[in-house]
Amino acid sequence: MEFGLFMELSVPRPWTADSERQVYENALEQVRLADELGFDYVWAVEHHFLEEYSHCSGPDIFLAACAAQTSRIRVGHGVVACVPQYQSPIRVAERAAVLDIISGGRLELGTGRSATWPELSGFGANPDETKKTWDEFVRVIPKMWMQERFSWNGRMFSMPERAILPKPLQKPHPPMWVAVTSPGTELDAADRGLGCLGLSPGGFADSEKKVANYRRRIEVCDPVGAFVNDKVLTVNFLSCHEDGDLGRRNGLKVASMFSYMASQLLSAKEVLPTHSYPSEGLLPALRRESGSPGDAAKSFKGVTMGTPDDVADAIAAWENVGFDGINFIHQFMEVLPQQYVLDSMRLFAEEVMPRFKAATAPTSPAARRPVGAGVA
Amino acid sequence: MPLAGSLDIRPLLGAAPDVVLEDRELKVDDVDILQILYEVRVDDREALVPPALNPTIPPVVSFLVYRARDSVFGPFALAQVRLTARSGVRPRAFLISARCDNPALSEVLAGSWGFRVSPGEIALRRFHDRVDCTVRESGGVILQASLVDPVPVTGHDVQYPPGMHLARVQRGGVSKPRIVQVDSEYEFRRADRGRPELTSFDPGAWGDARLVPDIGVSASFAACDMTIANVRYICNPDIPAAEGTEKVSDA
Repeated sequence: MEFGLFMELSVPRPWTADSERQVYENALEQVRLADELGFDYVWAVEHHFLEEYSHCSGPDIFLAACAAQTSRIRVGHGVVACVPQYQSPIRVAERAAVLDIISGGRLELGTGRSATWPELSGFGANPDETKKTWDEFVRVIPKMWMQERFSWNGRMFSMPERAILPKPLQKPHPPMWVAVTSPGTELDAADRGLGCLGLSPGGFADSEKKVANYRRRIEVCDPVGAFVNDKVLTVNFLSCHEDGDLGRRNGLKVASMFSYMASQLLSAKEVLPTHSYPSEGLLPALRRESGSPGDAAKSFKGVTMGTPDDVADAIAAWENVGFDGINFIHQFMEVLPQQYVLDSMRLFAEEVMPRFKAATAPTSPAARRPVGAGVA
Repeated sequence: MPLAGSLDIRPLLGAAPDVVLEDRELKVDDVDILQILYEVRVDDREALVPPALNPTIPPVVSFLVYRARDSVFGPFALAQVRLTARSGVRPRAFLISARCDNPALSEVLAGSWGFRVSPGEIALRRFHDRVDCTVRESGGVILQASLVDPVPVTGHDVQYPPGMHLARVQRGGVSKPRIVQVDSEYEFRRADRGRPELTSFDPGAWGDARLVPDIGVSASFAACDMTIANVRYICNPDIPAAEGTEKVSDA
């Protein structure tokens, strides 16, 4: 199993001149520790306008700082909004390549399309188009990385032949992923040979079915890049403490706050009748976990909170479902003291991680399945 | 921290309907529903909804208009102005006020579900290129809105969150301020969406002059059978819904 940190960089009110700096400093300290402890990934989201919930609008810059302060952990640039009103695919390819170079070839690129009304309307994006534009982004980005000069005549954008520079350090290119919240996106990931970056907690049975479908489908995929990334990661809340009650209580603080804050954002689906967003992203899963209309999300089955044994049991269950790893939301809105967060990570790394770290480590692109291998 | 409502409900209680909770639902066939959504630009979002609810980011005002050709109360049209909100993590719409052209139905809507409703003249006209709605009160236009360029979608694409209606509810022989959660079910026959167009809106006439629409979000028109369900939940308006929600059947 692989383990990562999932950074939203949420900044609670009241905001002071120093609030955002403090959140970024805390996050960087967590990343430095994660690097020492053997965590595999740090992922940083891309969000815009989502006050308090996420102040991470320049994730590549944050990740550049992470890369500069670490030596081993892989930097997950994701989920990058593959929406042309947010940014051109050229800029995504360029910036990601820079990040890959300065991190010494540690980039993972997560792709997605945004799901909130504030973001989509803020950029003037058409929600009906985002699935289509995402598809064009993921097809062109690996070509931009691999071809010395690149030209394109597409539906979303076109460009004359140009050298898109720099090229990433990893050859043939960094691993690519897609964020999976809407039902069926795991199949989109499989068909394109992309790793599955699960962002919504769900039940074991539902997850098992999705992972199985993904595994079956990716065997016969037509990858957008030069190799197949067939990993499936899920997301969970981490709070590990010798006192299990304290661990669970603190973990639930993070989970509840995350649910509350996420739910206040208007999803595109909620206000715009569109086929393009068949679900409200991660919100329905969180809402299913609440008991009554007034409840915040409660602990869901398989939550990685409590004593090291509790956390290990939960991870084992997710491993049995078929996941290759878990990205942890270990802090949100600074509801936990920084020292608790660091101690929780340390305890997890000492007591839990070794039970799942027999032989695996994030693999370099060259070690992953090249195009054609395993294709029926 | 999550934004929490801070609306002082005291000034609103004078005009809040008295509700007697009883086992009652209202089924209406063949209802046309126009919903038009606009973002609201306001400095103090929290002050738009009571402490029981959380505002959304951004706040969105909904103009929701029903027209039924028949019902047990006869034909009616009902226009509501609602504001998107949350009860805990769940999507809701806080009712600002409503207008109805059927007095008998109005009485039931107020007394059973806490609709803050007063008489109004409501016209809803569907054309192939647009759907127009006009609401008049005392002869003056207080809402004029349209859906322009309809294109078909499915009923699954259209959402009407449950209403949250401020009322005085009889509990244990005492009248208490409560928010009544009004759940409705819809069986869609068709649905369209289009571009929203707002020609006229008098927010003060509807009960909250701060609801100045900003940018248009969406417009939808649906034909469906509708049931306004028995009230299942009420909540104390003064405290967060997580703490103040009561299941009616538990009383």
